Amino acid sequence: MDHLIERIIGAEAAVDICDNSVVKRRVAKKYRTTEIDTKLRKERTRLEAKIQSEARRAGVPTPIIRAVDGFEITMERIQGSAVRFSISETIAEQIGEMLCALHQAGIVHGDPTTRNMIFSSGKVFLIDFGLACYDASVEARGVDVHVFFQALEASHENFISMKRAFILGYARRCPDAQQILDKVEEIKRRGRYL
Amino acid sequence: MLVLGLEGTAWNLSASLVNDEDILCEANAPYVPVSGGIHPREAAQHFADNVASVLRQVLSSADLRSIDGVAFSQGPGLGPCLRIVSTAARALSLRLRVPLIGVNHCIAHIEVERWKTDLADPIVLYVSGANSQVLSYRQNRYRILGETLDIGVGNCLDKFARSAGLAHPGGPKIERLAKGSRRCLPMPYVVKGMDFSFSGIVTAAQNALTSATLEDICYSFQETAFAMLVEVCERALSQTDKSELLLAGGVGANKRLQEMLTIMTAERGARFFSPRPEYLQDNGAMIAYTGLLMLSHGIQTPIASSGANPNFRPDEVEVLWIT
Repeated sequence: MDHLIERIIGAEAAVDICDNSVVKRRVAKKYRTTEIDTKLRKERTRLEAKIQSEARRAGVPTPIIRAVDGFEITMERIQGSAVRFSISETIAEQIGEMLCALHQAGIVHGDPTTRNMIFSSGKVFLIDFGLACYDASVEARGVDVHVFFQALEASHENFISMKRAFILGYARRCPDAQQILDKVEEIKRRGRYL
Repeated sequence: MLVLGLEGTAWNLSASLVNDEDILCEANAPYVPVSGGIHPREAAQHFADNVASVLRQVLSSADLRSIDGVAFSQGPGLGPCLRIVSTAARALSLRLRVPLIGVNHCIAHIEVERWKTDLADPIVLYVSGANSQVLSYRQNRYRILGETLDIGVGNCLDKFARSAGLAHPGGPKIERLAKGSRRCLPMPYVVKGMDFSFSGIVTAAQNALTSATLEDICYSFQETAFAMLVEVCERALSQTDKSELLLAGGVGANKRLQEMLTIMTAERGARFFSPRPEYLQDNGAMIAYTGLLMLSHGIQTPIASSGANPNFRPDEVEVLWIT
């Protein structure tokens, strides 16, 4: 038996963390009509699973998807330390490389905060692809990087050195890194996504 | 403190006198298009023709020497309309020798709803003709958590209403027609993270005019567009851990939107505040009241920076009156 350890209720899904697996289920929303609700939850579940697998194939460590059924994704459970608490310059650099690999595959995560990263067996795993989409634009990548910086700034004291390490990692594999970092500055000036 | 407020961002020209306790008086001269939607130049002409009259109406009852400030809607809105209002406000402030206060129209909608309620720190869904935003206060600013990527939801309703031959404003007519259907046609549901887009729904609804009943289209239109807004509100509540939701702006009058937000907040255990009918439409009182808040916290607008600001974003305003 796979025992339930913890249930996390988010805005659109409930996530069951079990001994050997994680089950993410998109719950029905009573405020919208069944036609819209059912279609949306099905499409999003399928897309999330698809993008997560594709990210993995592009070299981004993500949990292996075991099953997709209706509104439910069953995936591998990654055991490790939450990056939110264990971040170091080495890990920040790895995050840079990892996010760059994702962006090179034409995918943006949508919410790449340290809450959505797990450090396990020497690698940074990216989880929760609920807001991910296919977008290779400089703007979308810039927003992704900006969201990461915001999260760093909000919860880590030495965020300046972390940021520097991230940039080092991100630029190593990304030919247009400077263009994206310039975009991040522009997005920051707009005063949005705060 | 006594402040005069002048609102005129799009269709309603409205002046009001407000003190710390209450609204003392208000005068309105709404612009009603003969046909079609709001024509910016004609609306501005209407404002120019009526601004002296609305000001005279509210000032006739007041002692001019007791007025402490003149507040006006500086933006966002239609440039030609904003220019009439800012010119009138500047002239009056110079004449009365009192400070001028340029007010953000969106923030005025929020502040007037907060006035005299026990709302503490809400997530705000601000929906009007031109604007659709989800806002949250943090560290001296109303931050925009999500917003439309193209047109406001009211504009989207009006655009469709015009192509369906319904007179301006289209929202209430669409709401009435929607009650006659339970058939939901597929329409583009576009939520990208915290942002949403409405232009696709307009096109889908216009295309459906040849193949579906008007009732079905209106129903599907509302169900799709409003579900997008409610979804982003729910995500905002979840991300910020806040437990109050305030609805503001003209589209907030829609009963179905209110119902959907009521269901969502009830499921989350949050409190929902629907807009108060007296402040629903654009009004001078909200500008006067917000001007009063700003003035009592030392905020004034020098003449040199009092120009119309059609793209004035709420997060540009430093909010000093919330502690």
